[in-house]
Amino acid sequence: MSPEIFFQTLINGLFTGGIYALVSIGLTLIYGVMVIVNFAHGEFLTLGIYIAYWAFTLLGLDPYLSIPVAIILVGLLGAMIQRGLVQQVLDAHPLNQIILLVGVSTLLMGLMQFFFGAEPKTMHVSYETEVIKLFGLRMAIPRLIAFLASMFVSVGLYGFLKYTRLGKAIRAVSQSRQAAKLVGVNVNYIYMLTFAIGTAITAVAGVLLSPNHRMIPTMGQTYSVIAFVVVVLGTMGNFMGAFLGGLIIGVVEAYAGFYLGGDVKIIASMMIFILILLFKPSGLFGRQGT
Amino acid sequence: MTTVTSSRELPMYNRVVRRLFGSWDQTQLTFSFGLVLLMAISPLIIRSPYYIGVIILASLYAFIGISWNIVAGFTGQLLIAHIIFLGLGGYTTIVLLNNFGISPWFGILMGGVIAAIAGGIVALITLRYGLKLDYFALFTIALLVAMRTLFLKWEFVGGAVGMYLRLETPSVAKMIFASKLPYLYISLILLAAGVIIQYLIYRSKMGKYFIAIREDEAAAAALGVNTTLYKTLAVMIGTALAGVGGGFYVIYVTYIDPTGIYNLGVNAEIVMASPIIGGLGSLIGPLLGALVNKPIAEIIRANLAEARSGITLIVYGLFLIASIMFMPRGLAGLIHNVYDRLRTPTHQEEL
Repeated sequence: MSPEIFFQTLINGLFTGGIYALVSIGLTLIYGVMVIVNFAHGEFLTLGIYIAYWAFTLLGLDPYLSIPVAIILVGLLGAMIQRGLVQQVLDAHPLNQIILLVGVSTLLMGLMQFFFGAEPKTMHVSYETEVIKLFGLRMAIPRLIAFLASMFVSVGLYGFLKYTRLGKAIRAVSQSRQAAKLVGVNVNYIYMLTFAIGTAITAVAGVLLSPNHRMIPTMGQTYSVIAFVVVVLGTMGNFMGAFLGGLIIGVVEAYAGFYLGGDVKIIASMMIFILILLFKPSGLFGRQGT
Repeated sequence: MTTVTSSRELPMYNRVVRRLFGSWDQTQLTFSFGLVLLMAISPLIIRSPYYIGVIILASLYAFIGISWNIVAGFTGQLLIAHIIFLGLGGYTTIVLLNNFGISPWFGILMGGVIAAIAGGIVALITLRYGLKLDYFALFTIALLVAMRTLFLKWEFVGGAVGMYLRLETPSVAKMIFASKLPYLYISLILLAAGVIIQYLIYRSKMGKYFIAIREDEAAAAALGVNTTLYKTLAVMIGTALAGVGGGFYVIYVTYIDPTGIYNLGVNAEIVMASPIIGGLGSLIGPLLGALVNKPIAEIIRANLAEARSGITLIVYGLFLIASIMFMPRGLAGLIHNVYDRLRTPTHQEEL
């Protein structure tokens, strides 16, 4: 592997990793606050990518302009799913929670297949093949934008959680449900808000992915799995863990894809998953024994 | 046939009733065998091979449902992507038959063995450290995606095309029959065996440990139950049965391919729906659920799926959601309530 290919693969990996980070932050945020694994997570990315597709095809809207649309629509859907379904099983056996969310995942895939068709679709924007060359490294414009935007959203969300009142309330609930309630936080509202934010930023990842990307209604499954690997790697519920874990998995996949071929790179993620489960189940940022 | 009107015969009648319906567990077992018997005599009335086919698959779904019920229902282990082991059993059976000429009668059993070994490995990797339930569920779903990728690339097992049973003249050794009836009786024997195995496990000490682990793993461990051992055992028993079911499934539907079997939607239909509709953790749940699930799946496939794809996924998604929201104990829970109501008056009379 020449240095040029080495760095090119690194860049490609980081670009993919940015998307993974965004999806995983959504998942880890929901887990951190509600202690529930959103098994339907990838489907919200699929929704995002289809929203971008239809906004582009029907209205001629540039995919990046449909980001607010995706945030509002998917955020509302997320809030409804949380209030109507997830909220009701928060104290149930984990088995019931997971079956419910697997049901939501199946239902969303079915609805998308019903309305959008099972056949693959691709949208083509005018600038999809344009490339920037920097230090001899090639960066496709849509992928560069996707990376920068995902970094921007991640940092913005981090700031929101760190410095705003609402963000502090979310962190308070994730630290202790009871204590947050005692100091007057409306815990159920925070739950709904967190689920909405978590699903909405996942939809943003879908929109960022949309230019020149093949989409099918069941594509979310793969992203769910990647997000699972990332959040376990970066410790469940840990924001920075999900962010860094996403970039790490993106880079590892890029190198694995280089050596193994694109389709089998998920095996590399699986190997990482098994290794974490065997040697450090609490993840990179977890305390031993948690 | 004797009538039970004469007073002299009443004690005998009472004893039989008590033996068959004395407890809720007994009642479930009796009803299970009643349903198996009904399916066994159904060809007397139902002549159409199409409907016989539906009954065959319903009984197979019930058998597979039992295999998942032992892991998820009894032990509470979130082996969501159970269909992995169905696929392994299926592939084992068809590879042994096509590539080595080994009879499916043996191949199906080998499918169970291979699936149980794989299940044991998965259980040891994931359950060894007492990992949280969620992690186990995540791991199985990730494994499913990895298996699909692997099998799509693996030319020895047919790659993306999958493997087909060579159509040959009927032969008992190769489990190829001209009529559907032999398939029906093989699947019913499997189901009866599944019902008995499930009941014996439920009644055994091991079964009590399984349920203790489901209810409160930390408490079970504190009382001296070797939770890792019993969780691994539950997974291995469940995956062994799934492997056997997968072996017969492939022989019956005559093909297997990676996208068709390593698929969460198919998993929802074949593995999860029946026990959840019927009542996860109950003895009769998987059977009751399969008798509702399979006919509905057939109706969708025959009437609606042609019109628009995605309907199957929508229906199964709604099934899973509705079961958890409105009927967490399933159909068995409803029947249990009726059973309790029927029994209470007699108690009051005795008092």
